[in-house]
Amino acid sequence: MAGSAPAGLDARPAGAVRRLVATYRSEIALGIAILLIEFVVSFWTPQVFSYGNVANVAQSAAPLVIMALGSLLVIITGGIDLSVGSTFSLSGMVAGLAMSAGASWPVASVVGLGVGIVVGAVNGLLVTMLGLAPFVVTLITYAMGASLAFVITEGHSIALLDPTFYLLNGGHLIPGLANYVLFCLVGTAAIELGLRKLVMGRWVYAVGSNDKASRLLGIPVNGIRLGVYVIAGLLAAFSSMLSLSYISNSEATSGANMMLQAIAACVIGGASLFGGTGSAVGAALGAVMITVIQNGVNLIGINSFWQGSVTGLVILVAVLIDRLTKIRA
Amino acid sequence: MNADAQTNYVLEATDIEKSFGATDVLRKANLRVAHGEIHALLGGNGAGKSTLIRIVSGSLRRDAGAIEVAGRPDYDPSAIAVVFQELALLPDLNVAENIHLPHRRDALGRIDRRQMRDLAAQALAMIDPALTVTLDKPVSRLDLHQRQLVEIARAISSGAKLILLDEPTANLTFADAERLFAALRRLTIVGISILIVSHRMSEIRAVADVCTILRDGQSVIDRRPLLEIADEEIVQAMMGDGRGPAAAHAAAAHPAMVAGVTLGLAKDQLALTLSPGSVLGLAGAPEGPAGVIGALTGSSTNTDWSVTVNGQVRRFRSPADAVRSGVGYVSGDRAEKGVLATLPIVDNLAAAGRIARKRWLVAPSEVQEAAAALQRLAIKAASLYALPQTLSGGTQQKLLIARWLNLAPKILVLEEPTRGVDVGAKREIYQIIRTVAAAGSIIVWWSTEFSELAQTCDHVITFDLQGAISGLLRQGEITEVAMARATGMAA
Repeated sequence: MAGSAPAGLDARPAGAVRRLVATYRSEIALGIAILLIEFVVSFWTPQVFSYGNVANVAQSAAPLVIMALGSLLVIITGGIDLSVGSTFSLSGMVAGLAMSAGASWPVASVVGLGVGIVVGAVNGLLVTMLGLAPFVVTLITYAMGASLAFVITEGHSIALLDPTFYLLNGGHLIPGLANYVLFCLVGTAAIELGLRKLVMGRWVYAVGSNDKASRLLGIPVNGIRLGVYVIAGLLAAFSSMLSLSYISNSEATSGANMMLQAIAACVIGGASLFGGTGSAVGAALGAVMITVIQNGVNLIGINSFWQGSVTGLVILVAVLIDRLTKIRA
Repeated sequence: MNADAQTNYVLEATDIEKSFGATDVLRKANLRVAHGEIHALLGGNGAGKSTLIRIVSGSLRRDAGAIEVAGRPDYDPSAIAVVFQELALLPDLNVAENIHLPHRRDALGRIDRRQMRDLAAQALAMIDPALTVTLDKPVSRLDLHQRQLVEIARAISSGAKLILLDEPTANLTFADAERLFAALRRLTIVGISILIVSHRMSEIRAVADVCTILRDGQSVIDRRPLLEIADEEIVQAMMGDGRGPAAAHAAAAHPAMVAGVTLGLAKDQLALTLSPGSVLGLAGAPEGPAGVIGALTGSSTNTDWSVTVNGQVRRFRSPADAVRSGVGYVSGDRAEKGVLATLPIVDNLAAAGRIARKRWLVAPSEVQEAAAALQRLAIKAASLYALPQTLSGGTQQKLLIARWLNLAPKILVLEEPTRGVDVGAKREIYQIIRTVAAAGSIIVWWSTEFSELAQTCDHVITFDLQGAISGLLRQGEITEVAMARATGMAA
């Protein structure tokens, strides 16, 4: 591997497949770990690998995958978005109200996405214009969003009656491929390619890697920061629409647990909370792993109160493995 | 080995070995410091100086070898204190509290404030009697030089017998550096020893008595009085078998010829026009040069410098504006202002081109360009996809320069580009700067090392300690003495 000849500077293995394997080594390991977990669970319940259960896991993982992709961008810039869970709840409630008022589901969804963009823009503007710490800014929008989700319906949940709304999640834009899978694949691929192949994507890493050096190089640091918070808000809202379309009932607390899970997904997927590293494929697999653990705990019949402990253990293991491989490198 | 075999050493580190993974950083290195001497530890980047210091001060474990302090292998680690470039004082506590920090409290953690002040005053008086007036000031209100002395005072008051200073004068004025040296000499009288790491030959000559030189983890010069060793021999010992000049030759890069511009700089009474290929030095306290650099790189928009390019007034609105107008910028503050540490080398190299060329997509050609840039500057890297931290400090600095070479910058702004870089890498960087200038770029170069400006520049603007322009030196007038006089800074 370590070719020192000038031509060997490009020390990546030849061949597209081997190059992919080298680049995505830790993501592949994560995929294998997910399969191992499923394998262990299958001792208790062989049906984990059944089509029904796999589809079920994929469907419940989809909203978290979408949300984690947005959180990832913020984390790569060295920021954090605590508000995504509240945005999830609030945009769901707003979309629900719109549907109750007679809007069709596509219109209501666009309104919901608008809420996400607005919250993201508020986060981004406060971080860039006022120079406030992302943790503080999104703590504020987290609290306000969570409260507003209750305020607008006085805490009542909303049944979503548009009979075709299920199509967003369960429909088939491409025959044979459920939309929830399609959105995850397209979303992950788009963010991954964007981060790798767009100059703007490289700038997201540069900002998280060295804010001051990025500024001096002429990278539009504030633009990038604003952008990632807006995308995080938008994806949180989209994640909410996807989930509503499946559950068809909107509750003010629906997103309460999701923010921590989204951050956990990014960390499991190899992102550093100090910024500058992380991949979309990793974050998506991290989200799948969290869902697989929840599913496994349910299938084995362990009290679901244990889910958080198991997830915590998995994060610890993931971070330890990451640390150990970095020391060796 | 010679007469001082009989000397009692305060520190005697023998045959120290240390490896990180497959890399042997120290291979039987020796360091022997006698009581009451000022000892210079010299060596290139990667020679093992900082590893040796960390081992001696107890923050890193050695693989093999023996360390004795005052003849005892079981020594109290507080006998050896390190004063780093980034000082370790608590800014919101006052001087007395900071000095008292390592001392014991009673069982309830209470402090006798009278005793604390006495103890601190005593320590300060040993170093610089003028300092005792600062006892009740918060450290954040002291200037850099005073903070250094406070940190030394803290070390002494907690029983340090040997004080290690890492590049202590990097940001000091001439007067403050003199005061530091005077304080160090005062300490040697009471038997305290000083170990100083520096890349500045003149100050080593001015202050140290004895030197040890490391190369490739070995002490190639083990305790030699500085009076017995010439500069050339020191450089030779640091560089080894002519490795330096050879690398410098390889670094004779051939950048594309630049479509040159003339650059006009004016402020107050000063007006200067530079033609393509000229090298302008900036000398003096940071505030002065920072104004010029801010105006040229677009990083500060409220500047009273007026900039003209080819006779046209130019006001750069942002760093991006400056980069797209052909201005490159390299800072010696690599960690803060230069390297993108979590991104691979190829991204670090392509970063400037992506701005200058307004690209949207990562171009496949960036990989070839990056490889070519590395080759041109003889930068040895395992892979373009390795992280910059796998390179030594001097090599990282060359990487930051390489970033601009493919763009043929019309103006290249350098901010202390040789800070913390060893003699060999410095020579290579000077060679690169000359070659870039020869291709038609204008170089604007701030340095706190006047010797390097004297070697290369054809104009030097000097600034006084308040940051005001104090003069313009032209070819023939550019000497270290003239610059020291005009700036009040240590050369």
